[in-house]
Amino acid sequence: MRKTALLLALLASPVTAQDFSEGSEAKTWNLYAEVPARFEATVVDVLCELTGDCPADCGAGTRQLGLVRSADDVLVLPMKNSQPAFTGAAEELLPFCGQTVEVDGLMIEDEDLAVNNVYLVQRIKAGDADWIKANTWTKKWAKKYPEAKGKGPWFRRDPRVKEVIGREGYLGLGPEADAAYAEENF
Amino acid sequence: MHRIFKAALGLLLAPLALPVSASEGTRIQVTGEIIDTWCYYSGVMGGPDAVVGSAHHTCALWCSAGGIPVGLLAEDGTVYMVLKIEQDAGSASGDTQLSLAAHTVTADGMLYERDGLNYLVVSEVVSDLDIANMTHEDYGTVPPFSFPDPNK
Repeated sequence: MRKTALLLALLASPVTAQDFSEGSEAKTWNLYAEVPARFEATVVDVLCELTGDCPADCGAGTRQLGLVRSADDVLVLPMKNSQPAFTGAAEELLPFCGQTVEVDGLMIEDEDLAVNNVYLVQRIKAGDADWIKANTWTKKWAKKYPEAKGKGPWFRRDPRVKEVIGREGYLGLGPEADAAYAEENF
Repeated sequence: MHRIFKAALGLLLAPLALPVSASEGTRIQVTGEIIDTWCYYSGVMGGPDAVVGSAHHTCALWCSAGGIPVGLLAEDGTVYMVLKIEQDAGSASGDTQLSLAAHTVTADGMLYERDGLNYLVVSEVVSDLDIANMTHEDYGTVPPFSFPDPNK
């Protein structure tokens, strides 16, 4: 009877998330739901992982890359690199496509928005190599768009973004809506 | 009783033995807004109601071009991470997703669920209503500097 009671108690217990904060040196972003997380994982092409559509090079930087955590096989989706500049994580992880690495950063675990397993990666360690910072996106962008060289942050100079804003405006509602907004707010 | 205990324990542990990578897609059609998932989930720019629609259009462009995953925020609040739109598998800074930033669309595709997240492979954008969520009327622009001061 005691065993049955124990089993029923086990079944009733909520499944608690594992704690991966041990040893993390992640810097806070002062986000509401951030949790430091350092763990070992394999870098995967998410589309490949889920559907079997698998180019040899993980999509060469065009696809979102995921982290399949060694401890529990959970697929973590890294959304951000460590730059505070509207920049993602796929470019940082691409050199390690298919490899097992250690990562350190911030997990977002927000019960209100019902989200977990999304991640901001701050540094990456492959094998015996030193940790490297996940902050190379803007340098890679500058190499890709040499004609966009100039003052100000990349997102003010990006040719594709400028083209859309030139056509649709900052609000996305056309030049007349932008003009009315500017008149009212500046 | 011992046998009952073992049988019950077996039932409890059975799902753990299934291969977790064997995800099977489900065909769905969903209507919602193409959003910037990092701003939505992190709260870095404010609450979820402020980081959608016209208020956040320019920031959504920056994040999409910057390679942050885009999502489809459905009318019921579910977020689908978009991995492919029709023939364009460019989910990190792809052209198609950039062209749809902040647009309300109806998408037909395959849903894959894994570890608490929903992933969507869009086979067809059935309709594109452009930007239908006029959030700038309530929030201005988010972040404010996304609309540069025309007097400077």
